[in-house]
Amino acid sequence: MRTVLAVMPAFMRVSLATMFQYRAEIVLWAVWGVVYPAVALAMWGAAVAGTGGTDIKGFAPSDFAAYFLLTMVIGHLGTAWDVYEMGYMVRSGRMSTRLLRPLLPIWSSVADNVAYKLLTLTILIPVWMIVVWVTRPTFNIGWAQLVYGLPAVLLASVLSYLWGYILALVAFWTTKTEGVGEVWFGMSLFFGGRLAPLTIMPPILQWIAAFLPAKWIVWFPAAALMGRLSIPEMTWGLLMQAFWLVGGLVVFRFTWRAAVKRYTAVGI
Amino acid sequence: MRVRILAPATRGPTLQSGESPATIPGVAQIEVQKLTKTFKVSEREGGFSAALGSVFRRRYKQVHAVEQIDAVIEKGEIVGFLGPNGAGKTTTLKMLTGLLHPTSGAATVLGHTPWRRDPDYLRQISMVMGQRSQLHWDLPAMDSFILHLAVYRVDKARGRATLDELIGLLDLAGVIKKQVRTLSLGERMKCELAVSLLHNPAVLFLDEPTLGVDITMQARIRQFIAEYNRRYGATIILTSHYMADVTALCKRVIVIDRGHILFDGPLAGLSTRVAPFKVINIDLSRDVDGYDFARAGDVVAQESRKVTLRVAKERAAEATTRLLADLPVLDLTIEDPPIEDVIAQVFARGTGPD
Repeated sequence: MRTVLAVMPAFMRVSLATMFQYRAEIVLWAVWGVVYPAVALAMWGAAVAGTGGTDIKGFAPSDFAAYFLLTMVIGHLGTAWDVYEMGYMVRSGRMSTRLLRPLLPIWSSVADNVAYKLLTLTILIPVWMIVVWVTRPTFNIGWAQLVYGLPAVLLASVLSYLWGYILALVAFWTTKTEGVGEVWFGMSLFFGGRLAPLTIMPPILQWIAAFLPAKWIVWFPAAALMGRLSIPEMTWGLLMQAFWLVGGLVVFRFTWRAAVKRYTAVGI
Repeated sequence: MRVRILAPATRGPTLQSGESPATIPGVAQIEVQKLTKTFKVSEREGGFSAALGSVFRRRYKQVHAVEQIDAVIEKGEIVGFLGPNGAGKTTTLKMLTGLLHPTSGAATVLGHTPWRRDPDYLRQISMVMGQRSQLHWDLPAMDSFILHLAVYRVDKARGRATLDELIGLLDLAGVIKKQVRTLSLGERMKCELAVSLLHNPAVLFLDEPTLGVDITMQARIRQFIAEYNRRYGATIILTSHYMADVTALCKRVIVIDRGHILFDGPLAGLSTRVAPFKVINIDLSRDVDGYDFARAGDVVAQESRKVTLRVAKERAAEATTRLLADLPVLDLTIEDPPIEDVIAQVFARGTGPD
């Protein structure tokens, strides 16, 4: 662990330097993270107006605004692209040069990821401010929501990264994981609550979501920070996040070993 | 008339006289026992229907890349790994660097089993793959160097000193500030070598380090590798397609073909094993039209009064006697074939039909 901490700044410097080379692309990716929650927001705003009432299952337009603003932020902090990249790394043999290093390859990927998120915050924070100014979200929060909600957001981004990476490891067997990536993204749309707040989804979807990590990666931190959850609900949520984190670490450990074994058996 | 038997035509390593060879006899650094790697590869005929068929039923074939090889390599040796494409050279190197898990057999490098991939082991070795880059393409090489020093946790002062030394030795001062993707292949290869040596590896694996590089740069890289070996006593295993790499650097060669070791020993001894023939050069005092040289051996070259023959080793004496008896010989030499030809023959073996 000492090695990892010592190496991280060096990795991040290289990641940032690389991203500066691709400024335009980085901006486009970051903005894409704003576009789809904005579309969902516009859709639900129109839906509320269509019913002729003031809300849908307790969500008024300003609540939708708050919810989708939060999913924008949480979505950004949970961005991970290993599942799209790993197939290429394995197919092209680039993994070999990473495996020669006396350090798990995941750490350089983590550094890339954190560097991307920090760098793009400089663009996204002003964009989010504009979204706030245009959509006028309402938040209903006190200290308790912040104390529970902020760690929930952090844990959510770790969970999102970790499980994304675990899925990416499928590449060691299939050498292509773009499809897996799409399924994972789709899951976070339906079962994570990116398309709609989970509580207004059909019960069957909510029931399935309870068994998946996606719910704790998007819906839970957003609902907590909106002030929609009681303290016992938030405590339960944090526990569930801890469960998925520990589970993820265990699964990662085994999957990584198997993946390396597979890679070194086949010799790509 | 003169008859001379010449010493084997090797061009020994380029180490200057007065430099002590870095080999330390008796300190085995790499030990390989019955190392074997068998791959299972799927195969099918070309064409759409075969592609469709392979979706439902895949046919697999066992490929024996490396079979039961044994070797002991001592500290400070530079060993050339020779063989045609697909002989198993890279597979062996990958097993020794922990990138491949063998099917069976054992190997110890610096006291470690490579495929356990112990970080302590990985910190002490390096592998340069001519076709794969360790550098960040979008950044100047210097950035990759600094990152490498951090990843291998090299002490700051020592890292700086090594870096300066490598920049000097490889003449990199004008190169390291340029974006790697804009470098010429030769410049990039020098940077690849530099980055892989920054942590001062005790064992260095070089897989085709001069591939595609022009001749002047090849010579420069060779010179550098010899210098590095001399300075640090690093053990170096090298595969190459360029004979000059092998003749300039390696006193010892291991010839591998279809997964088996055909020869392991001094470069000079290679010709005796792989190419058991002698080259006879004859100078004649007058023209001898109509003499059938082919009865004595294969005619390699024939001018009016100069003939070069290739004769199987065991028949060399008999052929010489006959030639001397039959012909007006002015000068006759018997020599081993040039090492280049021997190596070419080694490579050529892999290209023929099985």
